[in-house]
Amino acid sequence: MTAPAIEFREVTKVYKKRLLGQEIAALTNVSFEVAQGEVCAFLGPNGAGKTTSIGLLMGFHYADYGEIRVLGEIPGDVRAKQKIGFLPENFAFYKYMKAPALLKFHAQLAGVPAEQASKLIPDLLYKVKLNGYEGLKISKYSRGMVQRLGIAQALLSDPQLIVLDEPTSGLDPAGRKEVRDTILALKAAGKTIFLSSHILSEVEQICDRVIIVDRGRMVRSGTLEEMLGPGDRVEIVVDQLSEEMERGFVESGATVERKEHGVHIAAPTGRKRELAEMLWAAGCDVVSIVPIRNSLEELFLKVVGDGAKPFGGTPS
Amino acid sequence: MKILAIALNTFGSFLRNKLMILCLSLFVCVVLLMMTPLAGMKMIATPENAQEVQQTVMQYIGVIAMFVSGAGSLLAAWAAADAVYGEMKSGTVLAVMARPVQRWEFLLGKYLGVQLLMLVYVLMMFLLSYLLAWIGGEKIQSTPWVLIVYPLVRWSIYSAIAMLLVTVFHSIVAFGITMVISVLALMLAPSDRGVHWLPEWTRAAIYAVLPSTGLLSEDRFFTITQASLKQLTWSAHLTTLAYGLDYALVFLLLAMWSFHYRGLSRD
Repeated sequence: MTAPAIEFREVTKVYKKRLLGQEIAALTNVSFEVAQGEVCAFLGPNGAGKTTSIGLLMGFHYADYGEIRVLGEIPGDVRAKQKIGFLPENFAFYKYMKAPALLKFHAQLAGVPAEQASKLIPDLLYKVKLNGYEGLKISKYSRGMVQRLGIAQALLSDPQLIVLDEPTSGLDPAGRKEVRDTILALKAAGKTIFLSSHILSEVEQICDRVIIVDRGRMVRSGTLEEMLGPGDRVEIVVDQLSEEMERGFVESGATVERKEHGVHIAAPTGRKRELAEMLWAAGCDVVSIVPIRNSLEELFLKVVGDGAKPFGGTPS
Repeated sequence: MKILAIALNTFGSFLRNKLMILCLSLFVCVVLLMMTPLAGMKMIATPENAQEVQQTVMQYIGVIAMFVSGAGSLLAAWAAADAVYGEMKSGTVLAVMARPVQRWEFLLGKYLGVQLLMLVYVLMMFLLSYLLAWIGGEKIQSTPWVLIVYPLVRWSIYSAIAMLLVTVFHSIVAFGITMVISVLALMLAPSDRGVHWLPEWTRAAIYAVLPSTGLLSEDRFFTITQASLKQLTWSAHLTTLAYGLDYALVFLLLAMWSFHYRGLSRD
């Protein structure tokens, strides 16, 4: 069995304010694993401990308790860092540099041979659609261009694990789609991707696994299928529905919505057969019966907003 | 390779630092203004007052050289503090430290970048000394290498101290403490100009801990006439320079140790 790409075991991180003697628990007993080849989203509201976790993972901070392994090594170990590409939140750069010079500098730090780097850099700039802007200082770039450059530097050394902190931040819809496509292409190439994002609809489209943290504690962890499940309601679409039947459905707890292309009835999954038979018997043409899947946003708001309730996945 | 890349990048960022360019421009203006009287002195020199003029010129060049050298100390401390703090403040340190670079390599690269800057500065200072002497109609008799190596070693101490302090404090605090240390070291040095109100044992104890930068001052060798040339044996040179380098190394190692254990984030 292959070792997980990322392992957190009961990790606790406490920030100490030296002068005031205060202690702030940024993470408390957080445990999770990300398997190699998975795309894992790390979600949570602001101040939940996402950036701290990524900082621990990258070796920027040290955990007070617990154990972390990244590609089998301790965080910060150069052997692990050799195989990691990292995009920090609000990617910072040397203002006086131009994109090729910045990538060349990072290539030198990553140990990429100069000859290889000189071929790789134009390809990467083309990939992130920054070709044609090689002569422009990065300080003149738009936020989206800087973010794309950050993604290019993260992919510079053909990493095995890619850690992206808010990768679509500052990008327009077209830019966000390009990042999504890039992530899916990396996934197809067998790379492990660990990303944090606030755009849950995107996460739902690209991730295999989701971890939700809130106030320094992990509140949910599991595959997207486990987390969202098949849903506890179905949507039945019929061509027409009498007002009498509509009243009956509404009284029994279903919701009915008349739309341009038919009548949409949402009801508990357990009543699917009964309702379908009733509709057929009444001469309605049943166009479709589709389970209503919970959205990640709904789940997120449920666990973070209303406290953690069992909803599939692994409660912590 | 990685250390060299960081050092060259640090040096490059200094050359593009607007604050540094502004300060250096002001500094050059002040030096140019100070140089003007030298040309005048050369004009008024006659066989009768030659010795008197020569003495004034020497004193004047000494003052300018001291001013330039003192500015070098400020530059060394500020550059070292800013080199590390600037990366923390902007957040560029995160992308750099995500690369297979050890923390000590990063700090050593930064330190070498500062030393590169100071090397350029000392060469400019060296040329200025000769230029001043030429304007004043004199010739510097001192051995050239001491005018380059001694200030470099002295500044390497200041930059190592500032680098240690900036791993804990804000860059301005680190710079300020480094300057206080350097002034204290001068004030507590056993000389006629030193502090006399402190008990001798206190003064001696503090002086033993502070860097004896007076020993590393190029002033000791800055002579214009052959008659006043101060001779020092090679062993004395080596001992003094080894002391300075040892002091800088200890502080650099302490800085690496402190930097290793600090958290990295955008400050």
